[in-house]
Amino acid sequence: MNIWESFILALSSVWNHKVRSILTMLGIIIGVGAVIIVVAIGDGAKQQLSDDMFNTDENAITLQFEPMMSEEDDGMMWMEPPTVTSEDLAQLREVPGVKSVLGTNNGWGTFVNNDKSSEMQITGVDNQYFITKDLKLLEGRRLNTRDNDSYSRVVMIDSLVREKLFKADEEAVGAIVDINDNPYKVVGVYESMLPKELQEIDGFSSGEALMPRTLIAMMFGSQEIDTINVIADNPETVSETGQAAAEKLNEIIASEDGMYIPDDMAKYVEESEKFFTTITLFISSIAGISLLVGGIGVMNIMLVSVTERTREIGLRKALGATRGQILLQFLIESITLTSLGGLIGVGIAILITTIVGSFLPFTPILNPVIILIGVLFSSFIGIVFGILPANKASKLSPIEALRYE
Amino acid sequence: MMKLNNITKVYGSGDLKVPVLHGIDLQIEDGEFVAIMGPSGSGKSTLMNIIGFLDKQTEGTYALNGKDIKDSKEKDLARLRNEHIGFVFQQFFLLPRLNAQKNVETPLIYAGVSKAERAERAKDLLTKVGLKDRMGHLPSELSGGQKQRVAIARALVNNPSIILADEPTGALDSKTGVQIMELLTALNREGKTVIIVTHEEEIAAYTNRTIVLKDGLILEDKKVTT
Repeated sequence: MNIWESFILALSSVWNHKVRSILTMLGIIIGVGAVIIVVAIGDGAKQQLSDDMFNTDENAITLQFEPMMSEEDDGMMWMEPPTVTSEDLAQLREVPGVKSVLGTNNGWGTFVNNDKSSEMQITGVDNQYFITKDLKLLEGRRLNTRDNDSYSRVVMIDSLVREKLFKADEEAVGAIVDINDNPYKVVGVYESMLPKELQEIDGFSSGEALMPRTLIAMMFGSQEIDTINVIADNPETVSETGQAAAEKLNEIIASEDGMYIPDDMAKYVEESEKFFTTITLFISSIAGISLLVGGIGVMNIMLVSVTERTREIGLRKALGATRGQILLQFLIESITLTSLGGLIGVGIAILITTIVGSFLPFTPILNPVIILIGVLFSSFIGIVFGILPANKASKLSPIEALRYE
Repeated sequence: MMKLNNITKVYGSGDLKVPVLHGIDLQIEDGEFVAIMGPSGSGKSTLMNIIGFLDKQTEGTYALNGKDIKDSKEKDLARLRNEHIGFVFQQFFLLPRLNAQKNVETPLIYAGVSKAERAERAKDLLTKVGLKDRMGHLPSELSGGQKQRVAIARALVNNPSIILADEPTGALDSKTGVQIMELLTALNREGKTVIIVTHEEEIAAYTNRTIVLKDGLILEDKKVTT
């Protein structure tokens, strides 16, 4: 009797006890399914995190000013960061490994156009911003050096803001909008840098706007450069590059109030990924227990099956089946049972992941390796928990078995 | 030819030893038609099990075609059963979920015969025992006599030299029993060694030799010359 025939025999035996087989497989189905779903969602979340959530380039690092703690002070005192100029940034660009340096500032504005209004973050930029960022211009023009030099009251809005403030057929470029009760002219519209999935979520973001940073500094009374982004040549050495740039900046500024330190986004991403990995691992191990329990269930049913079929085993032996052939038959039966359970688990997991995925703000990632491991592991459970019943069956004496009532 | 020499069988061990056969000397030639008789407890089932390689003797020698089986392992015994013995049981022992043809094919699976050849041989034999139009039926759809004929076809399928029938008519009405005995007689005429374990004189009357056991010994060995 070859393996294939044993397999067909096993399948028919599983088929002949449909309800029992499904119930037996349930533990395996749930176990394998849960592991695949959890890993898919975890991987998807991690991917989203590193790709989109921070919406940052992998090779970008922010330099933050950390005020020094003076001994006279009781605790922290808000310290205004020292002034950083475009010339300082130009020097930072000389640091080895640095591709470019972005100096920006921020404001918050209520935009009003006719009866529509929206609140959003405004980023103050200079020309360097457009050189570094791959911004897709949809209408009008970009901000330029002249806008910065002459404190032009101009603004660029992204596609989300355009949707909020303007009708589809309404001309946006050239329109005058009120920002915090003062008029500004829209000169350009660019495609939102938010990932598509996030754009579609209602209220997740109302969009962003860009203004000359000199104008922002004037409007909000802030520094022209309050956020410094260092972009490294090589994403793998971004931390080292950031550190080197921070040291260089501290050297230039020579401030006694504090110092700039690299605020590593990659580090946050890494930590968050670790967090997701831990959660995934934790839930997976619970699912693993389900697999173990499922395996014991399979063993139990196989033992019942051996007892039920004692006479069949005796007869098969009388007809010439060897111990090995009986062992193989029952082992293949339990492997078939668990593998089938594993396959059903995979099917259900793919289904659930797809359904759940459509409700999540990110796409779960089905890992083919995990799916393969799931199926192989369920087969393995069939071997482990099938050995005992199969061995019991093979050791039955044909005379005793035939006499069994 | 099978030759049994001073065969004993003891079940259990230590203080719980139950001796069943006390020393059987028996020789059965190829093509004989033999009935083994005796009251229950006489050891006739045990003797049949030993002859059919389902069990091994405690002492003594058993040689089939001159070859002693003393050192045979479980695997070798399975092979001997498969190749040399065709079993027919009182309760038929058909596999309930397989149809007649698949039941007949079962011994061939263990002999490693190809699927096509198995089907062909099973069909041939079912035709021979008069069940040509019942091949696809499940055992539950067959009468007692039909079931026993399926079992006989199964016993014959691997072309064994010996048919071992344990009370083959015990679960059948007398008319059907006669048909089964006629079938076994016909097989004997074709050259098969047929050994029947029975407690019925009428059944033994079909055979050419009657061996009567009592308390684990041969009480009588009577040949009928025809």
